[in-house]
Amino acid sequence: MALYPLTSNFEGDFVLQLLPVDTENTMDEVAAAAAVHSVGRRVRDRPGCILRVRRQDAQEFFPRTMKVAESGLKPTETVEIIWQAA
Amino acid sequence: MAVLNRMDWYDLARTTNWTPSYVTEDELFPPKLSGDFGLPQNAWEKYDEPYKQTYPEYVKVQRDKDAGAYSVKAALERSRIFENADPGWKSVMKAHYGAIARGEYAAASAEARMMRFSKAPGMRNMSTLGCLDEIRHGQMQLYFPHEHVSKDRQMDWAFKAYDTNEWAMIAARHFFDDIMMTRDAISVSIMLTFSFETGFTNMQFLGLAADAAEAGDHTFANLISSIQTDESRHAQIGGPALKVLIENGQKAEAQKRVDIAVWGAWKLFSVLTGPIMDYYTPLEHRKQSFKEFMEEWIVAQFERALTDMGLDLPWYWDIFLKDIAQTHHGMHLGAYYWRPTLWWNPAAGVTPDERAWLEEKYPGWNDTWGQCWDVFIDNVVDGNMAKAYPETLPYVCNMCQLPILGTPGKGWNVKDYPLEYKGRLYHFGSEVDRWVFEQEPERYAGHLSIVDRFLAGMIQPMDLGGALQYMGLAPGEIGDDAHNYAWAEIYRALRAAKKAS
Repeated sequence: MALYPLTSNFEGDFVLQLLPVDTENTMDEVAAAAAVHSVGRRVRDRPGCILRVRRQDAQEFFPRTMKVAESGLKPTETVEIIWQAA
Repeated sequence: MAVLNRMDWYDLARTTNWTPSYVTEDELFPPKLSGDFGLPQNAWEKYDEPYKQTYPEYVKVQRDKDAGAYSVKAALERSRIFENADPGWKSVMKAHYGAIARGEYAAASAEARMMRFSKAPGMRNMSTLGCLDEIRHGQMQLYFPHEHVSKDRQMDWAFKAYDTNEWAMIAARHFFDDIMMTRDAISVSIMLTFSFETGFTNMQFLGLAADAAEAGDHTFANLISSIQTDESRHAQIGGPALKVLIENGQKAEAQKRVDIAVWGAWKLFSVLTGPIMDYYTPLEHRKQSFKEFMEEWIVAQFERALTDMGLDLPWYWDIFLKDIAQTHHGMHLGAYYWRPTLWWNPAAGVTPDERAWLEEKYPGWNDTWGQCWDVFIDNVVDGNMAKAYPETLPYVCNMCQLPILGTPGKGWNVKDYPLEYKGRLYHFGSEVDRWVFEQEPERYAGHLSIVDRFLAGMIQPMDLGGALQYMGLAPGEIGDDAHNYAWAEIYRALRAAKKAS
């Protein structure tokens, strides 16, 4: 377990934000942590949607249960948090 | 005794190069400081300044200018303009003074480098006057706000800002250190005077003077106009240097310096001038949108200045033309959302009437930036202020030091431009910022952005309080909404009316 900084690029928001997570966090937990800083602040919630995480410019999302430590993401690397119909 | 006309003796009098005999030419003009680009002294002697002025002429004109600006200030000191001004206008003044005043003193040092180390005698004369100009600008822009310090602590940031680690000041210092404090004399003439002053400040001061007059602040309008007349003179120092470089096969090096400085200047203007023109200035006093101003006063004029000089438009010109309709909206939203970290109180500028103006000037604003503001406005109307302030840092660019942002909402295009260099992951706000870094990585690689400093544990405690302390923002100086959210009343009323119907 270790604090791990990522950069959040949240769909619909206007700015990248520092996103402190833990290496043991799953991608769903990363998405939820990112949502804290965007949803209800500058981005409206989208009921019926879930949030997925991917590398910037990647087509594929990380598996929802994958842990940060397993993802190969570098410290401060930017992840895109994308709305997906549930 | 008859006195010769100035032009009968000026060229001879300022021909002050000589062949050194006690030291070598490189000892007299160390290349790192003079930036001779490998050209001998006689190549630089062809430098021909377009605006010729002698010291006695300079002193006479400057005395008159000072008399004008100071007498207007004295006459209006009891007018209570400051007390009665719209809070948005006060924020314009605070942002301007803090970002500019001490930078003027720094610019005096840059002018002094040209004065001492340039191999072009004409440049040495021009920048002697330019150095005096910048000292005058520093003094005036510290003296004028000082009368307001006792009424408003944020006015003290005219003096204080430059010494702090406030994020916008880190950005301003990073840019000015790059273009004028750590460059040779010739590069300073290209990057500071030609690129920044001709390209941007000259026109910025014209625009700001017009806005000040419109807002009834004649002291500020006169001050700014007085400064602008100096700028328009000493901004011409770089042009003839570019000519010398181009004639001697150094166009690529000259072009690179222009391209780097213009981009940095643009980013700084997008956070300082963009919000002022499109959000802080009261609607009834707005003459032009920021985009219109940029297109008329900067794009058109600068394009002509570049091509007249024999230079090309910067390679990123298409990106720049697109960004002038977008970037500053993000800079405003960012500065506003993180408003406790400012030394001024930003005006939101998003009443229904203001939004209609924004939509007219920037079609699609409501579907993009407006979507973010809709959520923010709901929080203010609902009294949910915890959500109206940030709980983390925006990620900032390792070049311009400003937030990495893009268009939100339906036009979402936010993107990071990363680069790994010597094992460190850098983040940039655009392809151009990254390109600037790549031109000379070692020049920039060691700098830590405000986020890098946070992650390195230099900001303690690691929360908003620790960040404000690190930035030097004391109670009474921390920024908040300029109008204390009074503008949200109309949204409350609209919501109540909707409910009733």
